[in-house]
Amino acid sequence: METNTPQPAGTFEPRMVAFVCNWCTYTGADLAGTSRLTMEPNVRIVRLPCTGRIDPLFILKALERGADGVIVSGCHPGDCHYTSGNYHARRRFAVFHDLLQFLGFEEDRLTFSWVSASEGMKWKDIVDDAVARVRALGPFRGYDREAVAGSELAGRAA
Amino acid sequence: MARIGVFVCHCGENIGRTVDVPSVARAAQGFPGVVVSKDNKYTCSEPGQAIIREAIREHMLTGVVIAACSPHMHERTFRRVCASAGLNPFLCEIANIREHCSWIHEDRGEATAKAIDLVRLAVEKVKRNIPLETISIPIERKALVIGGGIAGIQAALDIADGGREVILVEKEPSIGGHMSQLSETFPTLDCSQCILTPRMVEVAQHPRIRLMTYSEVESVDGYVGNFDVTIRKKARKVDATICTGCGACMTACVQRKVSNEFDEGLSKRTAIYTPFPQAVPNIPVIDQMKCLRILSQKKGKQDACGKCLDACAIGAIRFDQEDELVTEKVGAIVVATGYSLYSIGKEQDSPDISGYGEYGYGTIPDVIDGMQFERLASASGPTAGKILRPSDGKEPKRIVFLQCIGSRDRAKGIDYCSKICCMYVAKHTMLYRHKVHDGQATVFYMDVRANGKGYDEFTRRAIEEDGAVYMRGRVSRMYRDGDVIKVVGFDTLAGEPVTIDADMVVLATAIRPRPGIKDLAQKLSISYDKHGFLNEAHPKLRPVETNTAGVFLAGACQAPRDIPDTVATASSAAAKVLGLFSQESLEREPTVARVDISHCAGCFTCERVCPYGAIGHREIRDRQGRLIKTVADVNPGVCQGCGTCQATCPSKSVELMGFTDEQIFAEVNAILA
Amino acid sequence: MKELQDLARTLLSDGTVQVVIGWEDGPTGARPVFVTSPEGADKLIFDTRCVHNLATFLSPRRSHVARLGKAAVVVKGCDARAVAMLLRESQIKREDIVLIGVRCGGVQKDPASKEPLTAATVADKCTGCDVREPHLADHVVGELPQAPPNDDARERFIEELSAMPASERWEFWQTAFARCVRCNACREVCPLCTCERCIVDKTQPRWIEPSAHPAAIMAWQITRAQHHAGRCSDCGECARVCPAGIPLDVLNREMARILQIRFDYTATDDPEAPAPLGAFRTDDGQEFIR
Repeated sequence: METNTPQPAGTFEPRMVAFVCNWCTYTGADLAGTSRLTMEPNVRIVRLPCTGRIDPLFILKALERGADGVIVSGCHPGDCHYTSGNYHARRRFAVFHDLLQFLGFEEDRLTFSWVSASEGMKWKDIVDDAVARVRALGPFRGYDREAVAGSELAGRAA
Repeated sequence: MARIGVFVCHCGENIGRTVDVPSVARAAQGFPGVVVSKDNKYTCSEPGQAIIREAIREHMLTGVVIAACSPHMHERTFRRVCASAGLNPFLCEIANIREHCSWIHEDRGEATAKAIDLVRLAVEKVKRNIPLETISIPIERKALVIGGGIAGIQAALDIADGGREVILVEKEPSIGGHMSQLSETFPTLDCSQCILTPRMVEVAQHPRIRLMTYSEVESVDGYVGNFDVTIRKKARKVDATICTGCGACMTACVQRKVSNEFDEGLSKRTAIYTPFPQAVPNIPVIDQMKCLRILSQKKGKQDACGKCLDACAIGAIRFDQEDELVTEKVGAIVVATGYSLYSIGKEQDSPDISGYGEYGYGTIPDVIDGMQFERLASASGPTAGKILRPSDGKEPKRIVFLQCIGSRDRAKGIDYCSKICCMYVAKHTMLYRHKVHDGQATVFYMDVRANGKGYDEFTRRAIEEDGAVYMRGRVSRMYRDGDVIKVVGFDTLAGEPVTIDADMVVLATAIRPRPGIKDLAQKLSISYDKHGFLNEAHPKLRPVETNTAGVFLAGACQAPRDIPDTVATASSAAAKVLGLFSQESLEREPTVARVDISHCAGCFTCERVCPYGAIGHREIRDRQGRLIKTVADVNPGVCQGCGTCQATCPSKSVELMGFTDEQIFAEVNAILA
Repeated sequence: MKELQDLARTLLSDGTVQVVIGWEDGPTGARPVFVTSPEGADKLIFDTRCVHNLATFLSPRRSHVARLGKAAVVVKGCDARAVAMLLRESQIKREDIVLIGVRCGGVQKDPASKEPLTAATVADKCTGCDVREPHLADHVVGELPQAPPNDDARERFIEELSAMPASERWEFWQTAFARCVRCNACREVCPLCTCERCIVDKTQPRWIEPSAHPAAIMAWQITRAQHHAGRCSDCGECARVCPAGIPLDVLNREMARILQIRFDYTATDDPEAPAPLGAFRTDDGQEFIR
């Protein structure tokens, strides 16, 4: 994966981060693996206990750091391992989604989904579809990232 | 200074075929903080584990990353390996490069690059892990059972027989519940009271069961292993310590016209009463809404009546008795509050439910519900077991039974099946035929759901041996024509409308949760569905637990249920309670939330979103005792670690251990480096 | 206005409160004033220049105000919504403040303006006001004026923005936000910014950089709007004080519209009403979720 330097035409591969809940989507992704379902390699998963833990700040930071697209996925409403974490997340995401829409953010870069532990196939479809949409949009230039990368914002020493 | 060890697994060919494992290990060696990086064919094997243990000691590792299969497979294994080598088990992270990488990608270059990113993510995370110790909480080994029907009775007996103390709280004056109202039970036609009353007596006499009847749970505080429960013992107006149950007060009572709830309104009782002769405890209660003396006292007039006072030879009647509040400490709670029936009248217990105007809203005499039929059939009932019409006491020669009244009817607001009606309607037709040899039973049904042990054979007996006529179709309306009830329905198998003349109609009404269940559920911080049935933790794998640790479910409070299944769930809940009590202390996963009290502004939005009610208030005071501020406080014994509090907190003043903001920030940076 | 001054004088002289927070006439127009003596009550005014939301002085961040003692605060109906939210979030206790409601017929955009109140001069927040008589108050003073002149310029602008293609909208907001210098005036004036340590000031980790780079500004502006959703009382002070003229109140209004459409929520002066982002319904909309 290259950094955010401009790439030759036709070779752009999006860099994507997925924030998923441990009990449903992470396990569903495991099932996709056990079922050997091939999918696009552009997505890196960050594991959270619940979608309730997922903060819009994560999404904003991922985009700032170089992600071209983000996936957020968890348990179907009613199935949350922690009973109501995803209900709160749903409201939070709804407001965030509508806010970004109002600001004119390219909607196809951000994908929300409910994927259960038994939906390996659905996870593959979500990943492939999200990657295809972001690939079509091109690299995320929304923040004029060159300026960011050159400043002290870039990276943090271990 | 971080000293991280990275161990990349080939997993035989599973990872190694697609991911260039040695180059992942080489790349990891260059990550800041990594001091040793190896690859291995089978890291989870004994030799593989030994390599990790050796590396921890040799390199004095402060954290370990295993790049292998899903953490759901072996996180626990590798945490144990670390612990055995002296490294805190929570300083171990797994990078999933099999299910999430080698098994789903084909291009070796892509897969290897992704594996390197995932390992870097895990390294950055583990550098920010802190050592965590499992949380130990003490357990009060006493149980509370709420509800004294067959479910509560069974649970209480099982727990008490298991050597633990039980407090059984029942809101009615006697235990027994609905089962004590039944005449005979399917599929054996056992006399209900005969199998129930010995259990009731066992409960009363058991040395480890404390029975509190005519009592209700007022409030519940605390958490698993440490609940503080306040129980309201309602005033019976009778001294239970000296009453002998002789019944002289009931004979003397002047108020004899009170509708008898136990007989479902088919008979009358006195104001001072026991609900039924086999009541446990056999101590009467004064109905404060009907007693003439109490009513006169409320109006400020001179005391009326008092015949019971005169009749009682030992002076057990106490008109001055007040409700008593008692507090108890318990470690587990079993909810066994049972069910109530859908009303055939216009008034329903919820605005989302409506009644059947087509059936006259219960205004047509001799249209009764299933429980009323049970009382008629019962030897101790208002008609001594004879099937007689409530209106004129005549024996009905033709009874029509309607199944699915309320159940499976979206138009009425109830879309579920009540499970027991097909069976008890078949039972009713059999009891009817056994008592009225020339009686004809007709059943209007949509389906016959008889799927338990011996159940299908039972329903077939009703048809083949006891002559019940089963008509598939629904009844569109009923009306009175002289002495007869006209039942207008449709026979779908014959394909034509039918009108049946009936002397009596019995409606198999839907099973509903008890009114007031939502208040109890809120007191216990447990959840319920849109109908009010209490929610289990997982419908298949955890059917008697709730999402609140320490609170269990038994019987029909969770879903419509027959007696065999009720007893099974009650025993399951008891087993869970005994299992809880058999531990020395409760060990909880320490990945729970912690409040940063210096930055918490005390807005308590976290408290409102916590699914478990694990967040309370904590006062921060200075040395002079002055209140500085009140902040949120997470109970580590109750917190289940979902992190909703942290995402909701605008200032991030509460952190979830194992998934802190710093860790996630580092992971995001690591992926996109 | 005499009724207000008399009330303030009484509250101060009988020791019910130690300070009355209201408005006075200043050299640059109407401005907040902290009256600590009964004589000072004569300074109190209320007219169409009183646009400020005095509820901001109740925020626990303002310890210098708290040190003055128990306060009475003059509130318009809209300001009372902010007070209700502070109560809901346990930032103040009802018994610790005295609320003096003023009946209001609208205020100017500009606290210095001596112009009459017209559709051109009226503040955007006054359109469609239904709390000209404050509900959350211990005392209510003043005559009920006419309803404010209607100016739905803000609503029309939002419609215009919503009708644009997304890339044009993004361009508009990027340009508007590019002027942000991260002065935090909006944060300082907002009554609901009560966090002891704002997310922007959190360094471990640094989710939101404090610099004026586009990415940092966007993270700030989005987070500000998100954190205010369901808490904002639409007093418009943030937009009024922004030295860069960023239309923050347009963003706030749109957030309020989103909450109204999705969750049937409108900002209210009832402290018991639950906030939309601390609650949920099992049938909440999820059309944006795959």
